[in-house]
Amino acid sequence: MIIEISHFFTILATGLFLLSGIFAVSIKNTEYVSNLISRTYTHAFLFLLISFSLYVWLAATDNFSVLYIASHSNSDLPIFYKISSIWSAHEGSMFLWIVFLALWGYLFNFNITQANPIKSLAIGIMSLIIVGFLLFLLLTSNPFQTILPIPPSNGADINPVLQDPALVIHPPTLYLGYVGFGIPFACALAFLIRGNTEIEWELMVQKWSVVAWIFLTIGITLGSWWAYYELGWGGYWFWDPVENVALMPWLAATAFIHSLSVSIKSKRLRVWTLLLSILVFSLSLFGAFIVRSGIIDSVHSFANDPERGLYLLGFISVIIITSLVLFVIRFSKIQSMIRIKRFSKESFISINNIFFGVLVFSVMLGVIYPLIYEYLFNQKISVGAPFYTAIFSPIVLVACIFLIFSIDSKWSREFKFNLMNLPIIFSTTLSIFITFVFIFLYEIDDIYINLLIFVGFLIIFRYIFEIYKLISAKKYINPFSAMAHMALGLLLISISLNSVLSSERAMSIKIDETESYKDLTIYFQNINLSEAYNYDSIEADLLVQTTNGESFLLSPEKRRYFTRGQITTETAIHASLLRDIYMTIGDQLDDGSWVVNIQINYLIRWIWFSAILMCMAGIMLIFSKKRLRR
Amino acid sequence: MNLTRKRRIYNILLVLLFSISGIFMILYSLNTNLDYFFTPSELMKREISSNKRIKIGGMVLSGSVKRQGSVISFVITDYENSIDVIYEGIVPDLFKEDSGVVALGYLQNDIFEAEEVLAKHDENYMPPSIEIKNDN
Repeated sequence: MIIEISHFFTILATGLFLLSGIFAVSIKNTEYVSNLISRTYTHAFLFLLISFSLYVWLAATDNFSVLYIASHSNSDLPIFYKISSIWSAHEGSMFLWIVFLALWGYLFNFNITQANPIKSLAIGIMSLIIVGFLLFLLLTSNPFQTILPIPPSNGADINPVLQDPALVIHPPTLYLGYVGFGIPFACALAFLIRGNTEIEWELMVQKWSVVAWIFLTIGITLGSWWAYYELGWGGYWFWDPVENVALMPWLAATAFIHSLSVSIKSKRLRVWTLLLSILVFSLSLFGAFIVRSGIIDSVHSFANDPERGLYLLGFISVIIITSLVLFVIRFSKIQSMIRIKRFSKESFISINNIFFGVLVFSVMLGVIYPLIYEYLFNQKISVGAPFYTAIFSPIVLVACIFLIFSIDSKWSREFKFNLMNLPIIFSTTLSIFITFVFIFLYEIDDIYINLLIFVGFLIIFRYIFEIYKLISAKKYINPFSAMAHMALGLLLISISLNSVLSSERAMSIKIDETESYKDLTIYFQNINLSEAYNYDSIEADLLVQTTNGESFLLSPEKRRYFTRGQITTETAIHASLLRDIYMTIGDQLDDGSWVVNIQINYLIRWIWFSAILMCMAGIMLIFSKKRLRR
Repeated sequence: MNLTRKRRIYNILLVLLFSISGIFMILYSLNTNLDYFFTPSELMKREISSNKRIKIGGMVLSGSVKRQGSVISFVITDYENSIDVIYEGIVPDLFKEDSGVVALGYLQNDIFEAEEVLAKHDENYMPPSIEIKNDN
């Protein structure tokens, strides 16, 4: 019964969203109509929310007459995995995706005053997008399908690699990020439709865009962290197509936020900001298409279904083409006549926005080139890390150099280079010195790595001096920008050093034997067999000693889950500030020894820490009074 | 008027020049960093230099998996042709005899030295090209 109510409420919500959308685009915008749209939207969202809450309730109470819950949950699971099983596969996660999209619209509707000239239109556009996706959900991937008359006694269980706390929050965070860019997109479209350049839509959406960006950053970071400790491969980024489709909106969004601040500050780059807002949301939608159409083989991809792929492709194309056509029609009207001054802050941001664009383009190429190539030449190919490294290293390097120049530059004013400035000389010398220390200490011979380390340190030192100057001589420096960019410097240093210093080795080792690797001595104590409520496992106890006397026990594990017979690897990690000792266990050999893989991953924690630091900068910006204007 | 037009043309030309050379560089690095995917049969028909990174996909031949310390050797087959593979490290959890596998690495004198071995995260996975052959 509950399932029918839930289903019905979703259909009802679809109808109401459609109404709100139709009101917005067809009736002349009076105060009455604007109120009507706002209220219709609120009610539609409430119905959708009730529907989703009922669905969560169904999952939590093991209602296996629902096909989706029966195939992805199990009564033995703890309650939070029962709920998270909703977003462990296509139908449920699509449902959550839509609810989040509607939630952003609801908060926006709630927060912006009625008098705003583009509010009701933006809400209407959001409604129409939501309708498109709700129809997709109801028509091609209905989560409300039931198994009748006799429901199975138990569910088929959630994939064991997904039974993990990080995976409970990773998809929701990522989705909140993806769909959060629906707001700037809808506002940009509304602005284009109204065609009134007086409207400051950029200021309106800044807070929303930064929030979405924070969620996207946290979502990607969580995914990276999860893959590191759960999958047993030991890296933080694999350039998997699905990682790439999350990276593209992130890169575009980062460019968008920069461009947005220029538009707000000095009314320049407005066209570019509009284009980027369209790009970011389009890339989010493209991500949904790639993951859900099964067009690309990936660890993440959901089941393959051409019907879904076609619907999504069609709907997404409509959205993108409509917005681009609008953009082209209005282009000349918004085009600003104010030229950007050479060497002003705007000029550096524009240049770096172009670099962001190139990165997005390259990642996109890496994702779709294999499809094109196979179609044209009937030869399967794949694009791996070497391509992305070859593209990212030089571009990020050059972009960072522009960033360093931009630190001294001023808004709307030409900037006179004065390299004989004490802080510049000092920070450059210091960075060169530290880089050379690293080069000699670790014999790094990769030129890009060296340069990236140098640039990373230079960014950090430049900002430290600027902050010092701010404190001593009342000079203004944007604290959010300083923090986020220092985090970028830290990220560059960590990634570079991680890539040259980390190493791994697979060894075969018997119980009671000792092996050594680098500065580590590994003693294999014993092996335990154990059984938990839904799996049995083999666990090895290995005592690791470093040459400076530190010792710790690592217990890598292999599990076999009963319900699916799936085998998973549980890594054992000894984390410290400088490095992680990372161990996984493989098979037993004929002579009784076990294959054990050991990795030493340097500075890997700092990579995630840098990302968190960037988010903190964003969070500070949102809560700062100065920027917060509606 | 004439001067501004001239300047505009120069600007456009400059932008075009930069974007074309940029796209060219990206495509070039894409082409030099591609990993070609072959089945053992396709591999037989081609000459592949030992410094070209490639992917080989197929099934793990049953009875072919041998371990020597931390080095594992096995045969990838598409049931027509096959190739010997060696790999040092831990193979993925889903690596089994008679199931699908993809190896990434270099071909050295008819032996494939893998850097990475992937088994699909799906128990029913089969490399697409083999599925077709089984149907015939």
